[in-house]
Amino acid sequence: MGRVVNHLRDYVAIAGAESTGFVADNTPRSRASLVAEACVAVLRSCGVERAEIDGLCGSVPTAPVVQEMLGLGDIMWFANPPTPFINQVVTAAQAVYSGTCNVVLAYHSSYRLPWNTPASLRDPFRASPGSRAADGSVPLETIGGPIAYASWAARYDYEYGDSSLGRALVAVNGRSNAALNPLAAKSAPMTIADHHESRLVRWPLRLLDMDVPVDGADAFVITTAERARDLALPPVLINACAVGAAARNTEEGTAGLDATGQSVVARALRERSDIWLDGADLLYPYDGFTSIAIGWLEALGCCAPGEGSAYLAANWDERTSRLSLGGRVPVNTHGGALSEGGTQGSGHVREAVHQLQGVAGPRQASRARTALLTGGGFFTNAQGLTLRAAD
Amino acid sequence: MNEQAREVDDATLLQLFAGQPVDQDSIDHYRGLLQRRLLINRCADCGNWHHPPRPICPKCWSLRVRPTEPSGAGTIFLLTFLARGDSPPHPIATVDLDEQVGLRYTATIEGPAKPGEVQVGDCVELTWIERQDREVPAFRLSGSNEHLQ
Repeated sequence: MGRVVNHLRDYVAIAGAESTGFVADNTPRSRASLVAEACVAVLRSCGVERAEIDGLCGSVPTAPVVQEMLGLGDIMWFANPPTPFINQVVTAAQAVYSGTCNVVLAYHSSYRLPWNTPASLRDPFRASPGSRAADGSVPLETIGGPIAYASWAARYDYEYGDSSLGRALVAVNGRSNAALNPLAAKSAPMTIADHHESRLVRWPLRLLDMDVPVDGADAFVITTAERARDLALPPVLINACAVGAAARNTEEGTAGLDATGQSVVARALRERSDIWLDGADLLYPYDGFTSIAIGWLEALGCCAPGEGSAYLAANWDERTSRLSLGGRVPVNTHGGALSEGGTQGSGHVREAVHQLQGVAGPRQASRARTALLTGGGFFTNAQGLTLRAAD
Repeated sequence: MNEQAREVDDATLLQLFAGQPVDQDSIDHYRGLLQRRLLINRCADCGNWHHPPRPICPKCWSLRVRPTEPSGAGTIFLLTFLARGDSPPHPIATVDLDEQVGLRYTATIEGPAKPGEVQVGDCVELTWIERQDREVPAFRLSGSNEHLQ
């Protein structure tokens, strides 16, 4: 295999990020309305005229709908790749790097869907024809979707021993950070005991092992580093990225805990990134489930496989109820998906951008020049991204 | 074989398994379930098994993949229990089938089963349980599982 060359290193920048903030309730708003608010906010804060947007990349609504909704001009490129949101960042960065377009408006709406909550199932604006099996059909067991994470968490505990302390520390860290984040859906204090006593939903995972279904949206401007330098906010450079999957990638067939999409992405990102654990000031492991975050820490090499729980305990700051890796690196400073809200990673990216721009307010880390982010979990949606502040 | 099941046309079968990933490549698997047969794709050329059903053998790229009945014996690889209000938690097991390393099938565990009574690593065998007037595949503990002694 030839030497890896990371061609797009620092060529593309995130010029700014804005958010509606997130609530763990069914808002009376559409996803389009949430996206519109975040998009207008980010174009204003960056000082980008809508005529300059020539690329669109997001989730829901589709790019053509967003184009017309915001009265944008002609666009030269658009895409709606699957989330988590690092995929949108990577796809947009590749389009800008290749010259297919120059200024991308990237967006993501988080929305409480029928399968998230019973309240959402009852909301006629949220129910879809496919949200319930048709009458007369027989349900069969599956470990698709969220069930897989419970199954693999149990597998982890079978191989390595009970990891409930580590999972609790991931959850409590998120909640302690969310307390300083006005965008967050959940900010009431949480203890390790609160985690352990929360409702068992899918053994061995409890309610507080799972992210919070929310309504809200984030939006970003992604362009060349050169263009971003002339905009209103400090550019955040995309240093390296990865979107990966293991050879066996189904929930059922994934070969083992050491052969997940996380393992592949960690390897791909490490081969391309100038920033790694020893140089990253901030770490954003995806935490749709607490066990996913532990999987990321192990895949990245923070500790050996199976030692995640002990590693988290050894890097726990009792005084602040937060993680501080090596006494230096804060983790998911916005509260993560577990407490800010289940943003499918857009919250992780937006918070990293704000930290690296020095606009994170009460959460601002004392040193914030580099960040390592991951998105997604074990199977078909693992992603990685390293960012750094422009010099 | 259940003649009635054999006669179920594709449109009816799609309705009976609404919500399941039934397509031209997997329909034999679902028709097998109506006949109380677990059918897993096996390559007629290289003998490799795979699941879920694909139109091509992932190992040798032969198109001669054949729905084939495995022994039904295996070992629990993944296990979870879904909370169901006041009812006992519902077990879901992903079983490594004996035929081939990493060949897995997911179903429930028969009978009352709680965390601790069934464990990852337990030996199981295929059985069929009644659900809404139909029979669906399940696993039950088999052989000597140490913690049950």
